[in-house]
Amino acid sequence: MTALSRRGFLGGLLAGGGALSLGISVGGCGGGAAQRRVARADQTGEFAPNLYITVLPSGVVSLAVNKAEIGQGVTTGYATLVAEELDVPVESIDVHFADSFPEYRTSFGIQQTGGSTSIKEGFGPLRTAAAAAREMLIGAAAASWGVPAAECTTADGTVRHAASGRSAGYGELTKLAARREVPSNPRRKAPGEFRHIGKHGRRVDARAKVDGSAIYGIDVVRPNMVRAAVVHGPTFGARPTSVRDDAARAVPGVLDVLRFPWGVAVVAEKYWQALAASRQLEITWGAGQTAGFDSEELRRAARETKARGISARDDGDVETSLGGAAATAAAIYEAPFLAHAPLEPQNCTVEVKGRRVEVWAPCQSPSVVQEFIADAIGVDRDDILVHTTLSGGGFGRRGVADFAAQAAMIARRVQRPVQMIWSRESDMTQGFYRPQTTARLRGGLDAQGRVTALDSQTIGQPIIVDQGLGLRAAFPSALPKALGRVLSNSALAMFGSGMISEPFATEGVRDTPYRIPNLRVELTPVSTGIPVSFWRSVGHSFNAFAVESFLDELAHLGKRDPLEVRRALLPEGSRPRRVLEAVAALARWGEPAAPGRGRGLARHSSFDSEVAEVAEVEVIDGRIRVHRVFCVIDCGTAVNPDVIRAQLEGAIIFGLSAALDQQITFVDGEVQQKNFDTFPPLRCHECPEIIVQILESDEAPTGVGEPGLPPLAPAVANAIFAATGRRLRRMPLQLAWNEEAPK
Amino acid sequence: MKLNVNGKPVEVATPPETPLLWVLREEVGLTGTKFGCGRALCGACTVHVDGKPKRSCVTAVGTVEDREVTTIEGLAPAGGLHPLQQAWIEENVPQCGYCQSGQIMSAAALLAAKPSPTPEDIDAVLSANLCRCGTYPRIRQAVLRAAAALRGETP
Repeated sequence: MTALSRRGFLGGLLAGGGALSLGISVGGCGGGAAQRRVARADQTGEFAPNLYITVLPSGVVSLAVNKAEIGQGVTTGYATLVAEELDVPVESIDVHFADSFPEYRTSFGIQQTGGSTSIKEGFGPLRTAAAAAREMLIGAAAASWGVPAAECTTADGTVRHAASGRSAGYGELTKLAARREVPSNPRRKAPGEFRHIGKHGRRVDARAKVDGSAIYGIDVVRPNMVRAAVVHGPTFGARPTSVRDDAARAVPGVLDVLRFPWGVAVVAEKYWQALAASRQLEITWGAGQTAGFDSEELRRAARETKARGISARDDGDVETSLGGAAATAAAIYEAPFLAHAPLEPQNCTVEVKGRRVEVWAPCQSPSVVQEFIADAIGVDRDDILVHTTLSGGGFGRRGVADFAAQAAMIARRVQRPVQMIWSRESDMTQGFYRPQTTARLRGGLDAQGRVTALDSQTIGQPIIVDQGLGLRAAFPSALPKALGRVLSNSALAMFGSGMISEPFATEGVRDTPYRIPNLRVELTPVSTGIPVSFWRSVGHSFNAFAVESFLDELAHLGKRDPLEVRRALLPEGSRPRRVLEAVAALARWGEPAAPGRGRGLARHSSFDSEVAEVAEVEVIDGRIRVHRVFCVIDCGTAVNPDVIRAQLEGAIIFGLSAALDQQITFVDGEVQQKNFDTFPPLRCHECPEIIVQILESDEAPTGVGEPGLPPLAPAVANAIFAATGRRLRRMPLQLAWNEEAPK
Repeated sequence: MKLNVNGKPVEVATPPETPLLWVLREEVGLTGTKFGCGRALCGACTVHVDGKPKRSCVTAVGTVEDREVTTIEGLAPAGGLHPLQQAWIEENVPQCGYCQSGQIMSAAALLAAKPSPTPEDIDAVLSANLCRCGTYPRIRQAVLRAAAALRGETP
């Protein structure tokens, strides 16, 4: 694949090979579908057995991916699954992104990329879809040759009949194949027959991403398109009360200056003109919804509160157990707000044509884009066509679509296609953040140092409350809109008021695999007005830090090895225990670290996968330096092992940036970190050596993009303790090290 | 104003203070050079001016008149790949890919100046280029691989 092409999506829709509902069925064709399939093949020579796969008369297999490529490698993964069952080379598949059609809403009722679900979701259905296509191609060839289909084989895009020496390329068979019935239960390969799955690693999008030809959202160009630069207010929801724009309007190329909720947009023929003009604006801002909010005050209040939370789990009797414990400990762990800060700033290209809207967006969910735009400019979501582009990073930020709503508001006013590009400062200060969270923990040990009680109270902002439009997107279009609104609003109100324990805030603690007889998990919801959302690994990102650091404290309290304490809490032969033991072997846990260095261990279950990590750390002149990280994952069948290794390296580095140095703070409602100088990601010279091992498995695939992150911060914090005797309970750890230094 | 971009003369009519980044992207139509931060902090906009790496987001186009500007699209002859680009593919470096043009341009300037860089040399130069996906371990390997290839060694 030299570029992510757009070939075939409309054709695929017209052919209507029956909605391939991933996870439901692949056949599902009514009679009309078969007729359309044949008519299309006769007209174009294209064989489209379903909405994902099209065989072109050239023999090229075109694949519509109903996911976003945010770097996680889903295009390579899906191409691998299809190549496996169709017997074609992975790199020969022409991959493009599926547009926003209802048939592609295969994930929680919407079309979305998140929750480390793509391979897990596509593994069965995409292979079935490809296997069905292969059976139809074989059937076509066998019938035309008058030989039994069972005697035919496929390889490299060709059907062969060895006994007669005949062969035909897939491209020659498209018209005949289209006339075959779509098998509803085609034979898929057994794991022992896999040629690509478990082996193929080379990314299908690598070439376009090294020669500059890959098209991201920011690279989209439409005929007659204008550009918009936006200036946002200092606090969330702040509206411009007065705008002096004479100088801006005088800049050549400037077409208009618009006030809209959240900001002021300068529209010009070229972005460089809009950018230059935006600097000439003089704007006075009203107070926004977050004026007065101070994140340090929230931190202090959360430390001091005596409020209990709502129960998410309550096993045994925590208070009695703690009362009778041989030893107890209590600690508070803290994690800050975090921005996603993907390297491609938020942007979106929108054209409004009457009631119809066309959108080109670097987004994680075209369905959510539809919902945000429908809500913002009052059109029907089914009249909004969203083309997903490549994204320059996502990490959860592009799972909401505030940027698309803003671009649509500008486009409606301008009546020309508009590309809106945010500054880095807007991207950083207009975020949907990982919520600041405080965890209050108590634990008890018996006389042998075994953990017998754990009491966990999470104090934080439930992210689901800010997902109203995402939730509404999942309501079928057939339901009255008002009903969707009422239902989603009342559900969110219950989460926000604490009537129901919000699932993301306590994930990873509530459902821990540790067998702790007395376990209480509570959530105390906080409301700030700051938009919060999914950030790579979501609730696990802070809960693993708290629990895995605290277990380390309990191990030291009981004078036991942190590895042994964890092993004792995990059933023998269980997945988490196998992964824990594997990382101990990989890192040679138990052998002393090099002088001056300390080693820390942590493990965590998330997104149905198991990851354990060992970090090796040294503090040099007051700077925390992570030298090495060992990482073991069990993610079921590893479809593309090298892509998985890259994802774990990436999650470790993303996690280390956050663990060591990053935080978003608010003073009087205003974000204090506005660019990469004050929100510093890890750079090359500080990157540790990372050693990854993937455990062999024939089980179905589980999550990969996120599970590498949660164990990283506690492994580093535990290693700092091992190296220096100092226990850091607050992220970012470097800040905690500096501020809490012994006087 | 006359520019020389990837070996070809280009005429643009922008004010001289316009950032080179946007001139390349909007006037010359070369979108491989990316906007990341606007303040020379991330390196996504790295191009070469007379062979030296420059952050095009803070480089006024007026300062590069009559100088040789090279972007990712011009790093290798048309249709071909620079050994760094080849090494990037072989080491499976890109994830989201957005920073990679800048990373490769920085690495190319390094190899032009130092054909046999040490790991410390690579870190020192490439620490100017951010990657949010965390491709640094592979970037290090890819630069070493490309350096070997450029020296005529098989890795």
